[in-house]
Amino acid sequence: MAEFSLDALGEACPIPLLKVQKKWPDLKGGDVLIIHIDHSCALKNIPEWARKEGHNVEVEEVEDGVWDIYIEKTA
Amino acid sequence: MAKQREYCDVAVIGGGAAGLTAAIYCGRARLKTVLFEKALPGGLATYTSEIENYPGFPEAIPGTALMKLFEKQAKRFGVEFKLTAVKQADLTGGEKVISTFRTDYVAKAVIVASGGKPRLTGAIGEESFLYDKGISFCATCDAAYYTGKKVLVVGSGDAAIEEAMFLTKFADKVQVSVIHDRGIVDANEVAKEHAFANPKLEFIWNTVVDEFRGGERLQQVVLKNIKTGELSPVDVDGCFLFIGYLPDTDLFKGQVEMDGRGYIPTDDNMATNLPGVFAVGDVRVKGLRQVATAVGDGAVGGVAAERYLAEKAYFDEQIMGGSCPTVVYCWNPTDPVCRSLMSDVEKLKEKYREQVKVVNVDMYKAGSLAARLGIQQAPALALVSDRAVAYRALECTDVRAIEAELAKMIG
Ligand SMILES: Cc1cc2nc3c(=O)[nH]c(=O)nc-3n(C[C@H](O)[C@H](O)[C@H](O)COP(=O)(O)OP(=O)(O)OC[C@H]3O[C@@H](n4cnc5c(N)ncnc54)[C@H](O)[C@@H]3O)c2cc1C
Repeated sequence: MAEFSLDALGEACPIPLLKVQKKWPDLKGGDVLIIHIDHSCALKNIPEWARKEGHNVEVEEVEDGVWDIYIEKTA
Repeated sequence: MAKQREYCDVAVIGGGAAGLTAAIYCGRARLKTVLFEKALPGGLATYTSEIENYPGFPEAIPGTALMKLFEKQAKRFGVEFKLTAVKQADLTGGEKVISTFRTDYVAKAVIVASGGKPRLTGAIGEESFLYDKGISFCATCDAAYYTGKKVLVVGSGDAAIEEAMFLTKFADKVQVSVIHDRGIVDANEVAKEHAFANPKLEFIWNTVVDEFRGGERLQQVVLKNIKTGELSPVDVDGCFLFIGYLPDTDLFKGQVEMDGRGYIPTDDNMATNLPGVFAVGDVRVKGLRQVATAVGDGAVGGVAAERYLAEKAYFDEQIMGGSCPTVVYCWNPTDPVCRSLMSDVEKLKEKYREQVKVVNVDMYKAGSLAARLGIQQAPALALVSDRAVAYRALECTDVRAIEAELAKMIG
């Protein structure tokens, strides 16, 4: 189970989600992708997209206005 | 991976204006409060550029800025935030179980504040352009991306008209598809006046979306005139839908009572049909869905949850939890019959001293405690033993019956 991370700090929507979608085919079931973001808009569309595709999502607020989104790819 | 289990007093599902307010009240009452939010804390209010009508902010405030203040206040009162979706909720028992993908949270009370989700048009091709492929529901999120471009807004309520005006600050051209006849929009008068005076806004009357077209991204929206049936393609870089919201309550179906559209009816204290489960904000059956009303609901629901927990603790410990038989006298202090019976109850207490515990319940102040014992009307007596009601004397005028039962019990 590998862990990947993506830096989307400073990027406004829709860039963070597009980055995630581009990286996604590289992940296998059980792998986790962590995206670092600081534009709050990405907290709306990335988790929603991931959940709709059936994956598990959890967000951690690293500091005020900076978040790590964890997405676990289901098998 | 085995699921973890955590315990709390109150679980708040949804971190919009209503949930955050409820959490502020619960946190301030020193209850262990956990709030679940699957997206950005702040809820739908963060989708709007300016909130003009929330009292206390005379100059208008961006939705994200206002909600950030709510969030800060909740954190100050010790509310724990879990930024993940609630996947399952078992609300029917005394212990409520709220499940996320990693953890089961066991809560004594639950406040449902899951709000709304944007309604879709249902037009052909819509699915293909959701999630940053051209269809958006959030002008503040995506406006900058459309700088110098062409967008279509669908809808004519406050949200549609206000967000369309906000978009004119970025986009070159903003067209608005309105279902009504020329000159008629559902928005408030101020917004309407400004919109009609804005040269960058162009209204397309009597239309609904028929189809979304494009390649990788949205390129064209086909509008249908509802009067003539005529189809007219409009070339766009993006399309914003503001055609209303639906309650986000699928999770609770079959447990919490709902109306035909999925909204949750509550009483004045935000209580649902399930004991210990409250609903606040846009998820409720109500007449006005705004930040100000969500805040009002949150305050009422937060306090109602606190009272429910206090009452439950009193009931479990003082009434049901005695080490000896407990006589519960449900009375109304203003009623002469109740007052005279009270002296008999006092005598009973004297007579059996160590062998019995006597608890008085004021029906006026704590009618719901009496209801838990199956008592609706004062005066009435109940005898509790081994955590169960052993005997009830309803509409009684003396203590003889209950004393006889008590005597049998203690031999
Ligand atoms: C574009 C727009 C403009 C608006 N303008 C104004 C205005 O100017 N003035 C005004 O007063 N009101 C305005 N409103 C209305 C206002 O935003 C709502 O009335 C208010 O947000 C309701 O708050 P709420 O807490 O009930 O629900 P919401 O704000 O909808 O919050 C519910 C939250 O629950 C979360 N949630 C749902 N299900 C789950 C789950 N299973 N697990 C975890 N989290 C979950 C959601 O992600 C969401 O954040 C506007 C709304 C929009 C969309």
